[in-house]
Amino acid sequence: MMHERPILAIEGLSKSYPTGFWRKPVRVLSDLSCEVRENEIVGFLGPNGAGKTTTIKILNRLAFPDAGKVTLFGGRVRDGADVRRRIGFMPEQPYFYEYLTGGEFLRLCGQLCGMSPSKTESRSLELLAKVGLSMARGTAIRKYSKGMMQRLGLAQALLHDPELVILDEPMSGLDPMGRMEVRGIIRDLKAAGKTVFFSSHILSDVEALCDRVIMLHKGRKVAEGRVEELIGAETLYIELVVSPGLSADRLAAAEIPPEAGFAQGALLVLRAPDSGQANRWIAGLLREGCTVLSCVPVKKNLEEIFMERIENPSATGAAS
Amino acid sequence: MFRRIFSIAANTFRETIRNKILYAILAFALFVIGMTFFLADLSVGDFARIIADVGLASIHIFGVIMAVFLGINLVSNEVDRKTIYIILSKPVRRFEFIFGKTFGLSVTLLLTTLAMATVLFLVHLSYRYGGRAEVGIFIASAGIYMELVLLTCLASLFSTFTTPVLSAIFTLSLFLVGHLTKYLYVLGEQSKAVGVRWGSRFLFYILPNLENFNWKNEVAYGGLKSFSILGWAAGYLVAYAACVLCLSCLLFARKDFK
Repeated sequence: MMHERPILAIEGLSKSYPTGFWRKPVRVLSDLSCEVRENEIVGFLGPNGAGKTTTIKILNRLAFPDAGKVTLFGGRVRDGADVRRRIGFMPEQPYFYEYLTGGEFLRLCGQLCGMSPSKTESRSLELLAKVGLSMARGTAIRKYSKGMMQRLGLAQALLHDPELVILDEPMSGLDPMGRMEVRGIIRDLKAAGKTVFFSSHILSDVEALCDRVIMLHKGRKVAEGRVEELIGAETLYIELVVSPGLSADRLAAAEIPPEAGFAQGALLVLRAPDSGQANRWIAGLLREGCTVLSCVPVKKNLEEIFMERIENPSATGAAS
Repeated sequence: MFRRIFSIAANTFRETIRNKILYAILAFALFVIGMTFFLADLSVGDFARIIADVGLASIHIFGVIMAVFLGINLVSNEVDRKTIYIILSKPVRRFEFIFGKTFGLSVTLLLTTLAMATVLFLVHLSYRYGGRAEVGIFIASAGIYMELVLLTCLASLFSTFTTPVLSAIFTLSLFLVGHLTKYLYVLGEQSKAVGVRWGSRFLFYILPNLENFNWKNEVAYGGLKSFSILGWAAGYLVAYAACVLCLSCLLFARKDFK
């Protein structure tokens, strides 16, 4: 069940880092405001250098903003252990103490989170099984592959059963099977009433998982809203796949302009601008003895929305 | 709070004792200390003094190498390897991290100093020409250990804001200056310029006075038999280390991790 209570609210966040010999400040975040509500999965999108990781570091007190404020669970972020205990964080390409085994590392995390040894032990076993690392529990982390590190990163983030889970690029470094498993874990978290805020530049993952997305470009928010609102109800075109392909003469006989289609092997793919036109073309194709294999309305995907917003940040959107 | 500091200290201890370079330095130190057994044969006169003198100097030098080598990487390694991201995202305050790291390394140095002192004690005891149980070796080693703890605190302070190479340079510079502050004061007092006198006094009080922990000569000449000397030195260590750690925590408290 979705609630309206914001669990994370960011207001006017700005951040610069000094660079070069003269420590000239370079702005990486500009006046970012957004919020994450309870039990939502929110995707934080943007190309490399957009400011996603900086924002996530600020949320985890690893960096401090020049301006703006972050409110977590209704209270301003402090170095308070109580707030930290309610958050699980996995950094981008997580690094661990290589001299520890996976099990030892989770035990350390449990101690730091104030968990009892027995609780840490049972949660570790459960989570290592969930992320597919049961067999590697006693293996030194220096022997882990990149994907195994990513999985261990996820396990440590969830160890203390946090209410808000912040993941920085959780899918990076994972094979397709691993990505599918992580998607499953994120869905399970939502089902268990948790809130998930994760950054990614793999838009298909975000589109498949998120209730809402926040898009960032060059440190500025370019869009925010529910996925279905951003994608919109508008159909870009209707795609018809026809067999067999037709010559230009037969296309003309079916009253279809030749530039409306292209050959794909033995098939013909046509793009009708609207459903009326598609119906007329189907009638013509049937007259010519063709078989219509599929007829699919094509909408914008997140990738197209994202590119559109980057090129034209002032474009109006459903919920920006 | 104490549980978290203890957990970080225990992890730092585990990290350092799994460090192969530490074992290499320790093995070499034990070898050199063991060799004082034969070195005394080459000397003329007070053989036991040579063993204590060279042995304690070896403990001191190798202890400083270990403290500086491990101390300069104490925080900077965590930042460079980004392991700190996960630790500080847990309910851990930054000062707890600094305290835990420093305590963990102090325990490692305690064990290595104890190992070196024990070997020296055994060499001294078993020496064929007048060997005896010299308790002063442990008292002088306690002084060396206190100095190492202070150097660890200084190295960890530098490692919060600069590179390991610069941290090593700063820490070793303070190590050298720390054994010369007494002369700095004496020379300053001989000056007629008020500014120089005040400047030298200021430096005398602000810089660490590592001679407070140096009782090697007393042991070598058989003049150190009491543990009471440890009290003043321990008090100085606690006060100075507390100031250095507080400064580290202040610098570390608002550090951005890029």
